Amino acid sequence: MVNDKIGVYVCHCGGNISDVVDVYKVVKAVQNFPNVAVAKEFMFMCSDQGQQMIEDDIKELGLNGVVVASCSPHLHETTFRKVLARAGLNPFLFEHINIREHAAWAHKHDPEGATEKAIRLVRSGIAKVSKARALESIRIDMPPQILIIGAGIAGIRSALDLAKLGIEVHLVEQLPFVGGRIAQGYGAYPSGKIGTELIDELVEELKKEKSNIHLYTNAEVVSIEGFIGNFEVEIQINPRYVVKECDKFDEAIEKCPIEVLDEFNYGMTKRKAIYYPYPNAYPELPAIDMNACNKCGECVNVCGDAIDLDQKPERKKIKASIITFATGFDPYEPKEGEYGYKQFDNVVTLPQFERLLALSNGKLEYKGKEIKDVAFIYCVGSREREGEHKYCSRYCCTATINAALAANQKFGVRTFHVYRDIRTYGKYETYYEEASKNGAVFLKFSPDEPPEITQSGDKLIVKVKDQLTFGEEIEIPVDMVVLSVGMVPRKTEVVSMLRVPYSMDGFLQEVHPKLRPVETAIGGVLIAGACQAPKDTVEATASASATAAKASTYLLRGYTELDPFIVEVDAEKCTGCGDCVEECMFGSIELKDVNGEKKAFVIEATCRGCGACAGICPEEAINLRGYTYDQLRAQIDAMLEEVEE
Amino acid sequence: MSYDVMVIGGGIAGMEASLTLADAGYQVLLVEKSPSIGGKMIELSKVFPTLDCAGCITTPKMAATANHPNITIMTYCEVQEIYKEGEGKFRVKILKKPRYVKVDDCIGCQRCEIACPIFVPKEYEYGLIGRKVAYIPFEMASPRKALIDLDNCVMCGRCERACPTDAIDFLQQPEVVEEEVKAVIIATGFKPFDACLKKEYGYGRYKNVIHALEMERLLAPSRPYNWVLRPSDGKVPDRIAYVLCVGSRDKSLDFPICSRVCCMYSTKQAILFTSALPLADVTIYYMDIRAFGKGFEEFYNMAEDMGIRFVKGKVAKITEKEDGNLVVRVENIDDGTIEEEEYDMVVLSIGLTPNSEVVKAFKNVEIELDPFGFIKPVSENTNPVLTNVKGVFVAGCAAGPKDIPDSVAEANAAAIQCIDYLYEVGAKVVVR
Repeated sequence: MVNDKIGVYVCHCGGNISDVVDVYKVVKAVQNFPNVAVAKEFMFMCSDQGQQMIEDDIKELGLNGVVVASCSPHLHETTFRKVLARAGLNPFLFEHINIREHAAWAHKHDPEGATEKAIRLVRSGIAKVSKARALESIRIDMPPQILIIGAGIAGIRSALDLAKLGIEVHLVEQLPFVGGRIAQGYGAYPSGKIGTELIDELVEELKKEKSNIHLYTNAEVVSIEGFIGNFEVEIQINPRYVVKECDKFDEAIEKCPIEVLDEFNYGMTKRKAIYYPYPNAYPELPAIDMNACNKCGECVNVCGDAIDLDQKPERKKIKASIITFATGFDPYEPKEGEYGYKQFDNVVTLPQFERLLALSNGKLEYKGKEIKDVAFIYCVGSREREGEHKYCSRYCCTATINAALAANQKFGVRTFHVYRDIRTYGKYETYYEEASKNGAVFLKFSPDEPPEITQSGDKLIVKVKDQLTFGEEIEIPVDMVVLSVGMVPRKTEVVSMLRVPYSMDGFLQEVHPKLRPVETAIGGVLIAGACQAPKDTVEATASASATAAKASTYLLRGYTELDPFIVEVDAEKCTGCGDCVEECMFGSIELKDVNGEKKAFVIEATCRGCGACAGICPEEAINLRGYTYDQLRAQIDAMLEEVEE
Repeated sequence: MSYDVMVIGGGIAGMEASLTLADAGYQVLLVEKSPSIGGKMIELSKVFPTLDCAGCITTPKMAATANHPNITIMTYCEVQEIYKEGEGKFRVKILKKPRYVKVDDCIGCQRCEIACPIFVPKEYEYGLIGRKVAYIPFEMASPRKALIDLDNCVMCGRCERACPTDAIDFLQQPEVVEEEVKAVIIATGFKPFDACLKKEYGYGRYKNVIHALEMERLLAPSRPYNWVLRPSDGKVPDRIAYVLCVGSRDKSLDFPICSRVCCMYSTKQAILFTSALPLADVTIYYMDIRAFGKGFEEFYNMAEDMGIRFVKGKVAKITEKEDGNLVVRVENIDDGTIEEEEYDMVVLSIGLTPNSEVVKAFKNVEIELDPFGFIKPVSENTNPVLTNVKGVFVAGCAAGPKDIPDSVAEANAAAIQCIDYLYEVGAKVVVR
């Protein structure tokens, strides 16, 4: 069986290809190749006109195979498959040949060589399509269930958007309370609201959607199996030790004799072993920190059976069609001695400073000392020349100026800003302007000569070579130095369970920043908020809603379609040796008795189409659909055929 | 035909929002005021920080939008009146401007264009070259249909005679159609800053001072001259300067905010010169380099490593020499000198200004604007696409300057908020 009427379409890619590859020569070199009915070139094959041209040719010339030579199939393979489908041709009688990355870009300085390579690649595609057969996509049901990992602002936003459509949301949070990093923030820009106020607003909505949102706090994902449409997730809900309502929790907390550093306030205050991170935290039940608790029973004396110090972890199985990561970020932790951090008492990070603002009343005090002058040092743990944090953390400039403004307005603090570039982008520029107007002093340093912090009496001295005054050395005595720390990616185990790829910067990698900004390379796995890259709340909630939008297109429709590229066994050739069963890492092949003979069978739902079994089979009895031995041999032969001048 | 959602604006944000709504099963009416969808993005060369060609990303979105069974596109149409008559009920009046070409009959063969004797500046190329009065807006237009610009037409009738399908119709009249929709998304984008307003930089007076969108066209794959040439004498420029923050962060123009994209697009253009004009020296005069998005700082570092010169300083003045060269005067903050450098060409990195006229169409409700004239998102921290009117959402640059990834994310956010709203008003999607 040979597809003998193949259309070949060579794209200029608006010069990306045609500046290097002679596309006219490619067309000429393939138009008389076996089984080619028509060969054409065009400026943008993916445009409306290009697509229309292919569609018309399929209909008018009765094509039974199509080759498009253009960019990477990652970009447009599905675009062109849809063209075939529209024209009534099976979409898998198509081969996408990448002559942009593989020819034009790889051999920029050798146009002739690039052209020859393009010809060989296109011919190989023609040969492959000539032996292709019609395939049907695998339809996967998508029951309306989703797992969202992380109940910070992004996770909650995404959960709400979907729950309102009647979709069942499993929202898993590792801490005992929701709200994530935002709850710890002081004034959020641009609304000016306190972080906990924002979370309160969302929690109010969350309560209304209780019937569709299952919230698991103190919970972690233990294992994930399956694939898009059919993820099977096991979670462990760690004990809270507080099991039901009681109106005497405040008294129980007061009676608790244990005090530990409060991580919610970045260790600047202490809390009890039974605690709320802040008033109004959600869920309303306090939690007991068993690492700190000595089981003295004081709280039980007050609250009785509302507290169960012997509560055990619980495991639960969840089904989900889609998984969204909203696992957030960590603030960069400066190294000891970095700008005096942990070396001098009054060097704190921006998140600590924000907590200090939230906790202070009347005057700004730290460790018993009033703070009147504060210096902020920017880009700590961001834009590093050496080191792993080469990226800009995006939110810190505006967040720092915003916090400085609040410190100035609330406590009359004078602020000095030691920066590299002020990146108060967009409308946030007004914060920069307002700070300058209010007397904030800005000094610019070069990364080659970073500021130095020393101590003199009860003051810290910030020594900076200020570029704005053409390199003048300035010494600023202050009461406190605030390090404007960046965001660093979290490496969580769940990410490895699903093999979600990381970007160079260590954050999770999207498929394409513009075309598919919230999807990952793993089907059915989406990313929301700052786990993808540093983002502020506005951008985090927008991206969270975008994941909900993406998920809704699957979950409202109830199904999705996957590529049909899985393996099939030729029972006549199969000798039942079982090598394939051992080779398959997904457990997708099993041996069954057929009339007394053992034969391999493929479990189609779990086959990933990796082809490992096809490679190991000594009889060539296993073929990967869309990449059969026949097709690959024809492809190689065509590629090696001489290209005449 | 009844529609669930009207999306106003067919740029990247409008297309993206439409596609998501349509994929979820809703009927979308997409109204675009110019003759083709594609917006500003289709005009661009390559896009930062991935250096993908803009056309390669935009044209398939345009095709997907045009081919989607759940999307109806009205190009060359303007939304004139919108009445909110209750939750889930908006009555809208849309003006169909006459193309003087019967769209169903036009086959896009361009014979009218060849026959037409009159040239006027081509909008799509920012006037760098001309177009005919009977014309297809640009090569990749969608729909790829002709129209006639009657203001400049001399009524010679040549196009009519050349058209093989009798598609030309000079008797077409403006027409107002009325539709009912359940929700509205505003995705009207931005207007580029008018560089003439910044008089000291001489745009409009000095021939070799151009703005960055013109440079986008000079660098684009479908570029008008297939080369970067300076306008005065067609010389290939050796020395090019970029002036950042033109029309942004400028209180003298009553526009104090930053446009978010200019630092990066200027850096990108400078990087593109390394292949377009490998010998050219490029200097970028900036106030702060704002490389804040994913991969941006790395992109900026790459530009520095490639030898692009970044100088901190706000350009005070540009003067033109007799040979067309330009002298840029600036206080160089890096070394404290007053620098006067001569360049073959100066590119003004113009900012993004509001395009909010659409709010005037809302007759019985008022859409709130922010102090700078953009549509105001009312609960930005928790839900950035809501406007003050329930059932009306905003996405992309209509709400303030932003780059393409942020616009795409917001477009999807607007789509889901819209779907949530449609559920609330009882318009659940019918699952097939």
